[in-house]
Amino acid sequence: MNKTVIGILAAGALLASVPWLGVPAFYESFLYLLCHWMILALSWNILSGYSGYFSFGHGAFFGIGMYTSAGLAANLNWPFLWTLPAAALLAALLGMALGAVVFRVKSVRGELFALLTLAITFVVGTIVLNTRIDGGPGIYLNSVAIPAIGPTASSSIYLMALLGAVATLLISYRIQASRLGMGLFAIHDDEDVAEVMGVPTFRYKLLAFGISCALAGLAGGIHALFVSYVTAGETFTIVVPLTVVLMSVLGGTRHWAGPAVGAVAITCLMYFFTAGNNPIAGKAAVGVILVLVILFMPNGILGYFLKRTAGKRSVPPALAAQAAAAPEAAPAPAASGKVLLDVQNLSKAFKGVQALDGVSLQVHEGEILGLLGPNGSGKSTFINVVSGHFPATGGQMFFEGRQLAGLEAHSIAQAGIARTYQIPRPFAHLTVLQNVALVAMFGGAALNHEQATQEAWKWLEFTGLQDKADALPDDLNLHQRKFLELTRALASRPRLVLLDEVLSGLTPGEINEAIALIRKIRDRGATIVFVEHVMRAVMALADRVAVLNYGKLIAVGPAQEVMQNSEVVSAYLGTPHA
Amino acid sequence: MLEVNNISVNYGAAPALWDVSLQVQPGELVCVVGPNGAGKTTLINAIAGMHRVRAGSLRFNGRDITALASHRFCEAGIAIVPEGRRLFTQMTVLDNLELGSFIASAKVHRKASLAHVLSLFPVLKVKLDSPAGSLSGGQQQMVAIGRALMARPGLLLLDEPSLGLAPLIVMDMFRIIRQINAQGTSVLLVEQNVAMAMELAKRAYVMEEGRIVAQGEASELLTRPEIQKAYLGLEMHE
Amino acid sequence: MSFPSFNLLAQSILSGIFIGGLYGLIGLGLGLTWGLLRQINLAHFGLVFLAAYMSYHMATVWHVDPLLTLLILPPLFFLFGVGMQWVLSRFSISPFNSLLVTFGITVVMESVIQAIWTADFRRLETHYNDQKFTIGSLYIPVPELVTLVVAVSLSLLIWAAMRYTDLGKALRAMAEDGPIAAAFGINQKGMSLMLAGICAALAAVAGICLALTFTLTPSQIFAWVGVVFAAVMLGGLGSALGPLVAGIIIGVSEAITMAVAAPSWAPIVSFSLLIVMLLFRPGKL
Repeated sequence: MNKTVIGILAAGALLASVPWLGVPAFYESFLYLLCHWMILALSWNILSGYSGYFSFGHGAFFGIGMYTSAGLAANLNWPFLWTLPAAALLAALLGMALGAVVFRVKSVRGELFALLTLAITFVVGTIVLNTRIDGGPGIYLNSVAIPAIGPTASSSIYLMALLGAVATLLISYRIQASRLGMGLFAIHDDEDVAEVMGVPTFRYKLLAFGISCALAGLAGGIHALFVSYVTAGETFTIVVPLTVVLMSVLGGTRHWAGPAVGAVAITCLMYFFTAGNNPIAGKAAVGVILVLVILFMPNGILGYFLKRTAGKRSVPPALAAQAAAAPEAAPAPAASGKVLLDVQNLSKAFKGVQALDGVSLQVHEGEILGLLGPNGSGKSTFINVVSGHFPATGGQMFFEGRQLAGLEAHSIAQAGIARTYQIPRPFAHLTVLQNVALVAMFGGAALNHEQATQEAWKWLEFTGLQDKADALPDDLNLHQRKFLELTRALASRPRLVLLDEVLSGLTPGEINEAIALIRKIRDRGATIVFVEHVMRAVMALADRVAVLNYGKLIAVGPAQEVMQNSEVVSAYLGTPHA
Repeated sequence: MLEVNNISVNYGAAPALWDVSLQVQPGELVCVVGPNGAGKTTLINAIAGMHRVRAGSLRFNGRDITALASHRFCEAGIAIVPEGRRLFTQMTVLDNLELGSFIASAKVHRKASLAHVLSLFPVLKVKLDSPAGSLSGGQQQMVAIGRALMARPGLLLLDEPSLGLAPLIVMDMFRIIRQINAQGTSVLLVEQNVAMAMELAKRAYVMEEGRIVAQGEASELLTRPEIQKAYLGLEMHE
Repeated sequence: MSFPSFNLLAQSILSGIFIGGLYGLIGLGLGLTWGLLRQINLAHFGLVFLAAYMSYHMATVWHVDPLLTLLILPPLFFLFGVGMQWVLSRFSISPFNSLLVTFGITVVMESVIQAIWTADFRRLETHYNDQKFTIGSLYIPVPELVTLVVAVSLSLLIWAAMRYTDLGKALRAMAEDGPIAAAFGINQKGMSLMLAGICAALAAVAGICLALTFTLTPSQIFAWVGVVFAAVMLGGLGSALGPLVAGIIIGVSEAITMAVAAPSWAPIVSFSLLIVMLLFRPGKL
């Protein structure tokens, strides 16, 4: 039990004592509202804030929860407390059913996901209104027995909400610190890369959505009792989603407590304005605040203040552990000749363009293979297909005997294949250390959070980036970003490393460093396939080279020999017309 | 006509060109060759105003254009045929051509320019109303060149026009480029296909890793060890 | 569900066409900025309502003929649109954040409207209201007809401008490939400002038509959001005729649903269509 958890529980216990302090009922109602919005905003943030899938449909699941509780309690005479888990469960199931369909469609992200979920709200609302669930008149809960948790009815409702809020805070905190949270943050920055680095994106999104909807359903159930009269028109509107977005964005979407801060701030603001003389000015002020926050504090209040007070540096593992110096590696094999990657007749076509045309290639364990060819010959496509970034349109790929074609990218990563991107694609909101640790967590090694961080440190030292561990990728220059790509690729302890133009853009001195590093990597037991244009690097590093032209493999063999092959020469230099 | 003086350009945060200088005299056809990643596209884009120059200067017809806004480069007399064509694929061929003459000075001569372009590329006559994205690679390249010509430029920039095209079409293309140059337009051509480029140009520059590593008469450059090394990584021992 | 008489059905379809025209008219400006500038401008709805209330005010309090407001408000809103775009372009905002920022602006507008005109229902009563044509047994009210005519003509006008004029083509080119467009002399900043102004002017026109045909109340602003978004997405972002056609399809489907089933089922039509579009034809967007 760490300090944060204890803190939350203690605050919760403190607030739970309020009903017995003899304060006017008004305070209970106000605290109820705070808890109510905290549950809604925090639960929304679990999917939308952490992963970037902004949902405008939180109201739908809130409403489902509300109607489930109302219906079960008022119409079917369930004891009220039992309706709450039912509300949460139903909301979660419906949410996950929706997610199962929507998350499979690659292009529904960002604004489109927002609109889709907004549409869901109105569809659900219409269905509820027009069928026997509501039918028009709404549902009255006056006759429902309120569980006697507190001294009065309103305090019981308040305590239920308080419990919900504490639970939600704890859940939100635990998720952020967990693998799920890291995976969601990675999805937020670059979903495709996250998938290639080993994050099971579909599963995680679904899980986060389910938890989010369950909590919204819970909040809805409790709220049904609070308002005691439930109508479709009031429930399935744009109000809940927009308020929740506002609260989370205001408080800070990347922090587990951000939405709670936002919820408290907005609820208090709204109170002052509605209680004051000018509710309209209040509404206008809320709008102005939203605009200003988006423009000037895009990370929210918490984000802004945390950045100011940041300075706490990650601590490298104790020197004793460091004395083991180099990270554990598989014993360095001599170029054993065993085939690690067997590509047979691989083809990949994009709209009308045959990027790879029947490429057959074998990569031997422990070798460094250069993959060359003029612009547009299919080299990057080869890496993209082998790593699972694109599916092949024909042919087979075997890695250590396992068929790769058809596997999802994260499974390929977990099998032991890692890659770098030609234009570095780090996770922009994660520090250098976190970028590397993430891959250690999700790649072939599958370490837990602490082990992954330690592993990350070792690799950062190996590649020389340890001083930049707490920096954000934006603060690095190109050379450092390329090395970050490299470190990320290594952190999962892959058997096969695919490097895509790691050297382009580097100064001659930096290139020399990189060449030395790549040699060290092979000596540690990895097999390397690298795409490169910097010829002297190719000559210095490659045991063999393979040359592609127009998607076809035209030559493979020792470097010096291949580069003098006439077909290769004319592929590069062109043929003069007679 | 065109003077590039010691320019350095960054690609994002990273340096892509260091201290690059070249000149194009009026009426010349000059080539820049080099392997992939050498910075040729960055250079051409900088000259066309699509890329900020971090240090150094660009002068065109005696005028310093380094700090001009991107959309003013065309008025100054520079038109580009970018790498990969970059046509407006959703619009018709005719639209693409007409957009080439968007600037006021070219708009006046639009009809004449169009007739001229169609005389160079007669196959486009029947394709005028087709969406540009539906044409073959070679035809798209023709439209791209035509679009640039519609701007009536003093200097035509071409970035790897042979990319992805069959050799026969490339020969045709180069013949037309020669013709354009003969008609008075200066040409700066970036090419990866060294052999063909050298046939076209009198003078050439060789780039590697963001710098110019050799320059001179095209015919004698082809035999120089810098080219062998830059492209093939081979140290030729004579 | 009872099947209605032919007459009732025909009248429903007609009113569906009319409201569809209004959907399309409101969606016209929204779709253009979304498709061409990559901004989702919720403030468009705020502008529509602001214009609606202003024309109400001018007609009711200052006794200006509503059709005359068509000459006054759009130019005013054009300037306002340019100004707003100029301010927003100082910040680089992602398309999603533009949704949030413009939502905030809309909330402010709603508050301003409520402060000046209160939340009471306001109806623009003019001599146009009572005029209608009859064709056979079908009633064609004049205000709705005017709206439809305006919607169709403006959509056609914009479509033609985008298709045939240099400026229109330049806008489309800019949306497809900004840097290359600039290389041929197209000034992105200036174009964006102009487009924002035009779309604000279009919002003004839509607002005036809205005032002519509907009762106004500030909370109504958000009720239109869903349906108009559906029309824009179905019709295609950046298309001039798309939102109109899609709007009419939605309007007619809603009307038929209302006539055949209960009126409260109507929203399901547009939103279901939207969901289906998003899931199965996202490439169209």
